[in-house]
Amino acid sequence: MLLPKFDFHEPKTVNEACQILAEYGAKARILAGGTDLMVNMKKKILSPQQLVSISRIPELKNLEASADHIRIGACFTVADLCESDAIQRHLSALAEGAKNLGTPLIRNLATIGGNIGSARPAADLPPPLMAYGAQAVLSSLSGERTVPLDQFFLGPGFTAMKPDEILTEIQVPALPASSGAGYINIGVRKAQDCNLVNVASFIALDAGGIIQNARIVMGCVGPIPLRARSAEKILIGQKPDTALFTRAGAAAGSDSTPIDDFRGTAAYKKDMVGVLTRRTLDIAFHKATHRQ
Amino acid sequence: MSEYTVINSRAVRRDTPDKASGKAVFIDDMSLPGMLYGALLQSPLAHARIVRIDTSKARNLPGVKSVVTAAEAGLIKYGVSPARYDETLFCHEKVRYVGDDIAAVAAVDLETAIEAVSLIEVEYEELPVVLTIEDAMAEGAPVLHNEYPGNICAEVHSEFGNVEAAFANCDLIKTTTFKNKRQDAAFIEPQGCIASYDHFGNLTLYSSTQVPHYVQRTVAMVLKLPIGKVRVVKPYVGAGFGIKASANPLELSACLLSMKTGKPVKMNYNREQVFQYGRARHQFTHTMTTGVKKDGALLALKHVCYLDGGAYSSFGIATVYYAGSLLGGPYKLPNMKYDGYRIYNNKPACGAMRGHGGVAARACWEQQLDMIAEELKISPIELRLKNMMVAGDVTCNDLNMSSLGMKECIEAVQNGSEWSAKKGKLPKGKGIGMACGFFVSGAGYPIYRSDTYHGTVVIKLTEDGGTALVYTASAEIGQGSDTTFAMIAAEALGIRLEDVRLESGDTDFGVDLGAYSSRQTLMTGHAVKEAAEDVRQKVLEVLSKELNVPVGEMDIRNSLIGFKQANVDFSGLRTRYVKEHRGWTDNPTDGPLTFKEAARMAYLAIGSIVGTGKYKPHELGGKYKGAAVGTSPAYGCSAQIAEVTVDEETGQITVDKITDAHDCGRAINITSVEGQMEGSVSMGLGEALFEEVKFDNKGRVINADLAEYKIPTMLDMPEVKTIIVESNEPNGPFGAKEVGEGAIMPTIPAILNAVYDAIGVRIHELPLTPERVYMAIQEAKKGKKT
Amino acid sequence: MKKLIHLTINDQSFEVAVEPNQTLVDLLRYQLGLTGTKKGCEMGDCGSCTVILDGKAVNSCLVLAIQADGRNIQTIEGLETAEGLHPVQEAFVEKGAIQCGFCSSGMILSAKNLLDQTPNPSDTQIRRALSGNLCRCTGYQKIIEAVQSAKTI
Repeated sequence: MLLPKFDFHEPKTVNEACQILAEYGAKARILAGGTDLMVNMKKKILSPQQLVSISRIPELKNLEASADHIRIGACFTVADLCESDAIQRHLSALAEGAKNLGTPLIRNLATIGGNIGSARPAADLPPPLMAYGAQAVLSSLSGERTVPLDQFFLGPGFTAMKPDEILTEIQVPALPASSGAGYINIGVRKAQDCNLVNVASFIALDAGGIIQNARIVMGCVGPIPLRARSAEKILIGQKPDTALFTRAGAAAGSDSTPIDDFRGTAAYKKDMVGVLTRRTLDIAFHKATHRQ
Repeated sequence: MSEYTVINSRAVRRDTPDKASGKAVFIDDMSLPGMLYGALLQSPLAHARIVRIDTSKARNLPGVKSVVTAAEAGLIKYGVSPARYDETLFCHEKVRYVGDDIAAVAAVDLETAIEAVSLIEVEYEELPVVLTIEDAMAEGAPVLHNEYPGNICAEVHSEFGNVEAAFANCDLIKTTTFKNKRQDAAFIEPQGCIASYDHFGNLTLYSSTQVPHYVQRTVAMVLKLPIGKVRVVKPYVGAGFGIKASANPLELSACLLSMKTGKPVKMNYNREQVFQYGRARHQFTHTMTTGVKKDGALLALKHVCYLDGGAYSSFGIATVYYAGSLLGGPYKLPNMKYDGYRIYNNKPACGAMRGHGGVAARACWEQQLDMIAEELKISPIELRLKNMMVAGDVTCNDLNMSSLGMKECIEAVQNGSEWSAKKGKLPKGKGIGMACGFFVSGAGYPIYRSDTYHGTVVIKLTEDGGTALVYTASAEIGQGSDTTFAMIAAEALGIRLEDVRLESGDTDFGVDLGAYSSRQTLMTGHAVKEAAEDVRQKVLEVLSKELNVPVGEMDIRNSLIGFKQANVDFSGLRTRYVKEHRGWTDNPTDGPLTFKEAARMAYLAIGSIVGTGKYKPHELGGKYKGAAVGTSPAYGCSAQIAEVTVDEETGQITVDKITDAHDCGRAINITSVEGQMEGSVSMGLGEALFEEVKFDNKGRVINADLAEYKIPTMLDMPEVKTIIVESNEPNGPFGAKEVGEGAIMPTIPAILNAVYDAIGVRIHELPLTPERVYMAIQEAKKGKKT
Repeated sequence: MKKLIHLTINDQSFEVAVEPNQTLVDLLRYQLGLTGTKKGCEMGDCGSCTVILDGKAVNSCLVLAIQADGRNIQTIEGLETAEGLHPVQEAFVEKGAIQCGFCSSGMILSAKNLLDQTPNPSDTQIRRALSGNLCRCTGYQKIIEAVQSAKTI
């Protein structure tokens, strides 16, 4: 499988990368881990004339945990997410998503930025990141802006990123003490699978153990990862228990808008949203009550 | 202590150090000076008339050396079985599936070849597409091949005994319908080849094939070459599982392009083309009606099967016969009726794949037997043991179970899995299930009608040094046959394994029908053994003369010559040998006469020592039409027990453990036997749980890659406990028979029966994806409510 | 347009001119003759092209040759030394973990990479670490046994 021809750029700084993008606009494509882009180029789905590799920009590989944020550079690899203590400790649902993404060989190349930027409806990282309330930092020659992930995805392969922008960083706000999140994905086999359904749930409890905040994000059941708004509403203000989580699961199923495709029927996916919502809420509740 | 010195042990395979270190040469690792690269133009449409082909732009592209279409290739029909030669190298009137071959290009590099392909203009007139059995058989459906009206590629009707009469005597009659899905073999090495035509008109084809012999014949026939001018050589092959068991368009195109250009031409399939070429397991729809007595005695089986064949026959005629005949055993079944139909449609052709024709049939029937056992309140094991054949039994369709360790296999898995402690005692969501199966140990007849030997072998001793060189045209494709044959040669000749060198996979070495139908260990093994015994006899005869000792009073073992009498004086021979090897530091001084010395003396006496061996089966049973498919000199058999956990809320199945016992006759290389068993289980597990080649409504494969076509990963495979049950097969070399395919037979039904045990719901369609299992559970719940 | 890159493969320095659209696996196989690295799918699905890039096992079919500029690569050919096969290779041979051998290069490199980082892996860790390397012949059983035996060497 031969790749189409292209010019290759390998900027050393974000600013340099932005300059290249400013010059070529939509003719250019950013290359991070390459695990998605290379496949699409070999299949001739994409044939960018200019390829801008950002893997030699050191600052994009940083992970920084401060009091109010965890900041993850766009080129932080999925394998690094799996291994990072900080991610494991603070963002366990993200670590879970990372562990279930692709294969070990893919995880060693794939980046968090790529998994978000490629905007695939079945991707593993967007649901946990959205559940944690993450936002994307986008850079261009005209400066930097942040976009909540909730507003970042526009459709399969489409995002709020402009042709001259680079996704440089993911920011996750520090989480309240009594909060937690869970992530579960279902595929046909146990590794190397495109998800059939994946769900991440986040809840925060107040001092009395009442659910103060909840975010449920469903993958594979819409053109973009979807929030289960009515399920979230059911949870907020309630005391968590299995019956509540089951009701929330049913509501999440109704919130989802899956389609029949060759991987599975809409009916099955809807039902699985319900199961996974309940199960991820169980995990989230457990984390919220057992967090250090 | 084994009575053998070489076989029946765990030998390190001779090919694996090179494979472990990256040195082993596979087809795409090869290149020849001046080599060109070929590419195929394949149809984007599933069914269309070819109105016009214009290759002029492609021919004019710089770097293009040759463009060939049906005009250059001719229209000689070929295929697998001469009874259904229904393919030409390139399509001439119409295309019949997405991927059907239209033209080929040779150019200085692959990029140019691919570009040239894109410049070939083809004008199509689209024809209505039929993709299913139902559509293809419908009144007025478009016909793929004019010679086969109704799109019926082949049909089989047979009855042994009298099924309807037997049903009248049955206490329970059970009917079920079962469906598997079209599989892909998903070997990791895509097909590839290099053809090289020389100035003397000799054509050498290096190819990733399982069957050099059949490829040689097909190439010679299609390209009208004298067969003696065609040589097929097989480098290391990254597995085949049946799909590489016939000549393919790559091989024929590369040969033609090399003949046109006078240069070597390399061609490869990419992974998508592997899927488009297909030729793997058919989709079968089986409807079986089984009648039994109250005590569980099997009386009759009525069986109807439809095979979704695709656009061409490939192995399909054999497949449709196997799908019926392989239910003759291993249970005593006095009455069996079979109606099988293989139907053409506009998808890639299906062909032969591990467990050829028998896997889905076995899955259907073994699940049905469990259902019958449950209704009769007999344990599944008891039902099977009650009906089990024993060695020497002959099935109603004339298959002779000359050895059959089936009962021993069942007992082995029963004990090995602690069945009795688990069956009926597991919590909901956990289940255990078992099944049996058997398979031929080599097709009794070649694919083309012939009295040919199925294998010939030449063993030549090096004129000095006492090393035996074994030449066999058999195909090492990963199963370990080279090592197996070296072991057989060493054992039969009486020398150490390290004193054998073996070359295989080259049609210049003789005839060997190749690696399919689990034939090589038994068939090639016989020929190797005979050749080794011939060499042994020749050496001993010379010694006999030289030493004046009768041949019968000498023996060769461990590369040493033994004498029954004490004090045989061979000092004269030794002195001669040592004199010839002055300056050598490893000359024998005292101790027994070595094979090295004996072999040298034999050469000095009569010239090069060459032994030959050959094999073809003795006359096999069955005089009825189709008896050639299923009859074999021997049958391997196996029993398996699967243990599973089912997540009833999601339908996800985890296979926790498989216990597998197989009767392979005498195990030649124990490690390789286990390897075949474990590999079979993994392929069966994949078919049971994940695998399905899917198409869109235009006949295009939509999961033509190893991401969406899902074979088991290491995380999907459970622990597999293998137990080798050895019988002594009277028709096998040293008592050996097959293991490569019989071991896949019980896997799917064992899993099906275990899933039922876990969830209480029968599922009659594969694969058991989470969705299918979940939906079946939901359906059953609904059924209970109403 | 070709670009000159410098890279280290199996402790040896190379300077080669590559096209931007050339993959690392094609550079290794067709330009440098390191054909031990196999191509099974070219889409990152099978793992037969696994190499160790700066200490991490990756699919070399998804890496551009040009991206390997200045980097350190280990291929299957780099494991054997004058003393013989690497212990992981030896274990694969001894345990019968190789059948057709087409996945073996990648499988062995993934196993070595695991053992470099986790000298004493559990059964589950082995299965996870090698889950990107598909094998259709062995059913994986003997591969796992080989890795387990290699860890004790």
